[in-house]
Amino acid sequence: MELMCEHIGEVTVVVLAGAQLDASTTAEFKSDIAPVLEAHAQVVFDLSQLAFVDSSGLGALLSCLRHVHAKGGDLKLCSILPPVRALFELVRLHRLFHIFDTPEAAIRAFQP
Amino acid sequence: MAGEQSMHGEVSLSALQASIRHYVRYALGKEWQHLSGAELFRAVALAVRERLVDRMLATEARYRQAHAKRLYYLSIEFLMGRSLSNNLYNLGLFDLCQEALRTLGVDLAMVEESERDAALGNGGLGRLAACFLDSLATLDMPGYGYGIHYEYGLFQQEISNGYQQERPDNWLASGTPWEIERIDEACLIPVYGRIEHALDRDGQYNPMWLDWKILIGVPHDMPIVGYGGRTVNYLRLYSARSSAEFDMQIFNAGDYIKAVEQKIASETITKVLYPSDTVEAGQELRLVQEYFLVACAIRDIVKRYLQTHTTFDAFSSQVAIQLNDTHPAVAVAELMRVLIDENDLPWERAWEITQATLGYTNHTLMPEAQERWSIALFEHVLPRHLQIISEINRRFLDHVTLVWPGDHERLQRMAILTESEPKQVRMGHLAIVGSHAVNGVSALHTELVKTALVPDFFQLWPERFNNKTNGITQRRWLLQANPLLAQCLTNTIGDAWITDLDVLQALEPAAQDAGLQQEFRRIKRANKERLAKVIRELTRVTVDPDTLFDVQVKRIHEYKRQLLNVLHIIHEYLCLIEDHQAPTVPRTYIFAGKAAPGYWAAKQIIKLINNVGRVINTDARVHGQLRVVFLPDYRVSLAEKIIPAADLSEQISTAGTEASGTSNMKFALNGALTIGTLDGANIEIREAVGAENIFIFGLQAQEIHTLRAQGAYQPREHYARHPALRRVLDALYADRFCPQEPGLFRWIYHALLDHGDPYFHLADLPSYIAVQTQVGAEFTNPAGWARKAILNVARIGTFSSDRTIRQYARDIWQIDSIPENGALD
Repeated sequence: MELMCEHIGEVTVVVLAGAQLDASTTAEFKSDIAPVLEAHAQVVFDLSQLAFVDSSGLGALLSCLRHVHAKGGDLKLCSILPPVRALFELVRLHRLFHIFDTPEAAIRAFQP
Repeated sequence: MAGEQSMHGEVSLSALQASIRHYVRYALGKEWQHLSGAELFRAVALAVRERLVDRMLATEARYRQAHAKRLYYLSIEFLMGRSLSNNLYNLGLFDLCQEALRTLGVDLAMVEESERDAALGNGGLGRLAACFLDSLATLDMPGYGYGIHYEYGLFQQEISNGYQQERPDNWLASGTPWEIERIDEACLIPVYGRIEHALDRDGQYNPMWLDWKILIGVPHDMPIVGYGGRTVNYLRLYSARSSAEFDMQIFNAGDYIKAVEQKIASETITKVLYPSDTVEAGQELRLVQEYFLVACAIRDIVKRYLQTHTTFDAFSSQVAIQLNDTHPAVAVAELMRVLIDENDLPWERAWEITQATLGYTNHTLMPEAQERWSIALFEHVLPRHLQIISEINRRFLDHVTLVWPGDHERLQRMAILTESEPKQVRMGHLAIVGSHAVNGVSALHTELVKTALVPDFFQLWPERFNNKTNGITQRRWLLQANPLLAQCLTNTIGDAWITDLDVLQALEPAAQDAGLQQEFRRIKRANKERLAKVIRELTRVTVDPDTLFDVQVKRIHEYKRQLLNVLHIIHEYLCLIEDHQAPTVPRTYIFAGKAAPGYWAAKQIIKLINNVGRVINTDARVHGQLRVVFLPDYRVSLAEKIIPAADLSEQISTAGTEASGTSNMKFALNGALTIGTLDGANIEIREAVGAENIFIFGLQAQEIHTLRAQGAYQPREHYARHPALRRVLDALYADRFCPQEPGLFRWIYHALLDHGDPYFHLADLPSYIAVQTQVGAEFTNPAGWARKAILNVARIGTFSSDRTIRQYARDIWQIDSIPENGALD
């Protein structure tokens, strides 16, 4: 999955540019995102292009959240498409992540 | 034709013909002269369906405009049968279609025979659901069925050497023209997985359901038109597909086979109906099926509700969900999960909504039929639901403790989750706790639910328990199945009975009328001739329509006591050939029904019936006084031919076992007299038709209960006391009915004499024989018999499913009729 990173101030916005985060793409995603999470404490995942996520994909996002939290940072999500949002709610992941409608709103949320 | 009205003046004969021809050409790509029966049926059905779709959309618009509260009937079975004739009658197009086809050189009856039954059910429970859909639509009520789109319905039964053989019922082989597949409304259903325990952003406990497998539920809508054609609801059936990830996985060459296996496993879920109408102990696939149905239904219901509402405040005033038995009982947990996990409602509010929305119908008292799942299996398949059920159970038991402090035995009896081995989830308890209304299906049954099945719950919540005696639709079971009788009734009292069966009471004064009696007999004779042809086609046995047609058609079960019937037949046979005592009247005994594939005893009973039939039918000494036939592959379309032809309806279950029965009502509606025990709805039928117009025998439920409780039943005493009974059992033991298969039926002898005869065959056989003798005597008086038959028809009106649905609507669902504007009645 292609990851497009943009730095806006202290916040790194990562667009997950693939349509699916599932069993066939999770391993690659985890290995590709690891250096980003290592290097940055304030991260936003833009999921506007993510049309499908399965259980392993959700698990990968959860592990990203935990990784960032362990380093004292935070990971926020934005622009989640309705079908993916439904899965978040089904799994109760929406209670763990801060989710925003737009990247701008997510970035603003990092400001004190 | 009875019931025909010019309901739809816009449908002309030529328009219908043109429509049919259109579909032949453009849907089938065929020329008229090269059509098979199945293709012709498909074209006719598509032409009829066209007339349903507009009305279905208009009905939906009407409900939306009225902000109507809707009823969703969740059932794992819908025994729909054939739809063409039913749709034609309800649309008022039967005559027109018949004429349209006749002028094209086609017989509608032949087209009807080309339709496969939709056999998405085992027996009474599934057929009740189908009758209810017909009544809901006829009453203009917003009611929908939600079920499973099984690829294979109930197996087709063949008889080989007297034994049942099962064949797959590939009812969709040629597709079905009635349904509309709605791919765009597919839903994602997670199953399996595990719970990960975590804290949310606010530090609150947040269980997360992870590592699930995703199923996709694709709905298929079957329009359900009410009589009069004004209202068309639908039955929504879900099929399971594998998720889109399969398409990605096949490109990972190393996992290709695994990906295919995954796809197959996913799509297996709705592949086949479980063919047993008792509990499928421990079958994981069945649990997944049940959850799949519930999850798809609730997803759909909530989605529809949220199209017009932003909060759940009005949910229970807009939605009623009825659980047909415990198969959909996981709806209690699923609705809670959706409200809490996906919509952030607090527990108490979600619980309030859930209870106010759900109703539960119990259909059986048999202990072995009470659905339970091992907790381990439940945790494996539905981990989040088990968590929710655990919490429901904890709060429920806290409440029970408040009401009955210190009563630990009661807690154990009432718990949803059992603590002792085997640890199980009691689905009946879950359904009761999660519903605001619990009903049985006949007065006796409901009484036994309250006093014997779940007395603790009745003590706790007496206001929840109520009775809703089952019913049947007179449209299918009289108007369609018995057009001769239907016309006679309409000629005599008008056609209002089609939508108000109580109107049949107007027939009563004419019961004495010789002219009407003669007409009834003529009609019955014609129906018997029709059935005799069917019997000959199916079994190559010739039967005489002038004999008494003694009929027992239903699922094969020890508690329904086909065996008791056979014992009587053997008795009659032995009286004839050994005592030279002819039966009072010559009889044809007609059996039909399927046995669950794993039910050995039931399958042996089928073999017994066939063997007894072969012996009797080929014994020259019988001289046609007795005939025994077993009709293979009993299903709705066959029932429609058998029931109108019956003189005597056998409803002889052990008292206290049959929750209601519904074939009892169908037979009475078609002018058969009933011989039966005081069980299920037989009791209410007796009250309705009059004790002098029904033949009752045998021990009553209370007597059976006392005998069982005291361990006082000694079958051998009956064997010793009654020579006739002894002779019958000895004949079985002596291989008189299995000379080529010695010992085959000795298990029956032992089951009845040495293993306790749990269904009291020997206790009831003497009174059964006596009452059967009385039946024979009465049949020799045709006028008297016809009078009783007329009175049965006249007094059976309360057993219409219209009455049942009105009661559910008033007492449990609080839904209203939403008629078309300006519609009469």
